[in-house]
Amino acid sequence: MQVFRLEKKRLMPFLRKVMRSYELVAPVKTDLVRFEKIKNPKSICFEKPYFPVKGFFFKKHQVLFEFDGSRVKIPANNEPERVFFGLKKCDLNAIIRQDKVFLEDAEDPYYKASREKSFLLGFHCDEACSEYCFCGSMELVDFYDLMFYDKGNHFLVEEGSEKGRFLISKFKEFFKPVPRKITQEEKEIKGTDRLKKNSITHLYDHPGWQKDVENCFSCGACTALCPTCYCFEIHDEVKSSCLSKGCRKRCWSSCQLQSFTRVAGDHVFREKREERFKHRIFHQLGYFKEKYGMNLCVGCGRCIEGCPTRIDFIKTINEMEDEQRE
Amino acid sequence: MTKPKVGFFGITGCAGCLLSFIFNEDEILDITNLVNLKAFPFIKEVNADDNFDIVFLEGLVASKEDLETLKKLRGNTKILVSLGACACTGCVPAYRHFTLKENYEHLLYEKRERIRDVEPTPIDAHVKVDYFIPGCPPNKKEILSFIKDLLLGKKPRQYTDPVCVECRRNNNLCLLDIGKPCLGPITLGGCNSVCTNGGFECWGCRGPTKDMNLDLMIKVLKEKGFDDKFIKDRMRTFAGLKLPVLERVINAKGNNAKPHNKD
Ligand code: SF4
Ligand code: SF4
Ligand code: SF4
Ligand code: SF4
Repeated sequence: MQVFRLEKKRLMPFLRKVMRSYELVAPVKTDLVRFEKIKNPKSICFEKPYFPVKGFFFKKHQVLFEFDGSRVKIPANNEPERVFFGLKKCDLNAIIRQDKVFLEDAEDPYYKASREKSFLLGFHCDEACSEYCFCGSMELVDFYDLMFYDKGNHFLVEEGSEKGRFLISKFKEFFKPVPRKITQEEKEIKGTDRLKKNSITHLYDHPGWQKDVENCFSCGACTALCPTCYCFEIHDEVKSSCLSKGCRKRCWSSCQLQSFTRVAGDHVFREKREERFKHRIFHQLGYFKEKYGMNLCVGCGRCIEGCPTRIDFIKTINEMEDEQRE
Repeated sequence: MTKPKVGFFGITGCAGCLLSFIFNEDEILDITNLVNLKAFPFIKEVNADDNFDIVFLEGLVASKEDLETLKKLRGNTKILVSLGACACTGCVPAYRHFTLKENYEHLLYEKRERIRDVEPTPIDAHVKVDYFIPGCPPNKKEILSFIKDLLLGKKPRQYTDPVCVECRRNNNLCLLDIGKPCLGPITLGGCNSVCTNGGFECWGCRGPTKDMNLDLMIKVLKEKGFDDKFIKDRMRTFAGLKLPVLERVINAKGNNAKPHNKD
């Protein structure tokens, strides 16, 4: 893939110019780091956002359609074209997972609308951004429109797709082609392979999960912060002025909640906390792979950092593995 | 369709939960078109007192008179809804159970003898309650969607997820992480995490979730440096009577709290 050079002092002018044609979304640090719509590119930080980027594609609250009696209207899609800047390798690989669910399995028009209008600009991590990362254990791949590598006084920018090539040509005054490749070594992220074995099917009944289950509130922070979790609930909201008018909404939900598996007759089929806790871990590191050939988890560590009791399932899995090997 | 006959009543309380319904200014006239609002003594001059389909009741039982009103309403309605924290959990007035008489007696109005005649209790301690709309005050939209669900012949949605679900969806910094004693993980949501959105920790006004991990909540608060008394006081402020195991759980954790209920 073609590589370009962008001088560091040219980054802000580049982003400012991008903002003239697109909405720019990038990490901003206040009390925490979040992906936000950028008003001033100076506010951008290069750290890993605490919250995932998924809400820009898989919305927290999505009106699926409005109804008036039996007439149904799908809301117009007014998504702007967005350039996402500062995505990490885990964020980008999480988008591959969500694409599988929302574009390949069944085409979700809402997801597709914002996803199609997006440009994904990655920012390479040289080493683990936090003690919780384990992306190096998760067989991640190269996936981006453009990837930025920090090289001191300049960035090397690698094309990864047609969209990336288009952006480079549109803003060509900032990018100088360089006759070199980004090496495998440069693509590595140091200190991120702390998960010893990413296949865990044989550990389901291991007693080692117990302490994690006891430390779990079933609060759903982990799944909300996870860039790959894609579960939702659907409900109707009707107007007070006319009960046959209203909308059907889709909102984020979580397998950690009893409400998530509540079915007709009020039966909750994953009632126990233990079943719910394990469901998340085994979906992330088992069930998804059976269906799609890759793990759902991308090793970003957000579910651990954001857990009120910092349940580190990676540590737990490693302990179980060590014990089994002995 | 005949319009359901609806009544809004209050027993001992501050009327804030009734006000929550009234605060739906833009929609309240639409709703009164859909139902037969037979009674709302707080805002209506002429009020029926029997033969209801749905009664929303605010407040808790704190006097014999309250109890009589409650029993009469229960007998006169198909559906009884606990409206707000006092009705659902006992809220702040029920805190009297957890403090010594000397601490509050001098604060009572001299002539209000009836305040002393019944232990303050939520309404489900006395009669069968069909639905709960918790919160101090309740979410005004929830009252509307409750009525609309019933009108559509649906089972009204009773929110069971903890506050953290909405709090995280709202991209908030977790207040536990900065050492605040947030009860969000064990408290019923549905409030759109209105307190934590503003940086104010959840005090549990909507009452505990059925699925709460109380042992863990206490452990986490202790690790953050809060002592038994603080934890008990905080958890009992809004929902003490709904946490009958609190004392046992705190004491089971090997500490020096006194084994009696009042402190
Ligand atoms: S964030 Fe932690 S406590 Fe909350 S549900 Fe997930 S694992 Fe459990
Ligand atoms: S399961 Fe945890 S570590 Fe894996 S992708 Fe989700 S948030 Fe990241
Ligand atoms: S871990 Fe749970 S919330 Fe996340 S995608 Fe799997 S089932 Fe859904
Ligand atoms: S601030 Fe409170 S409600 Fe919000 S996530 Fe933290 S514990 Fe839960």
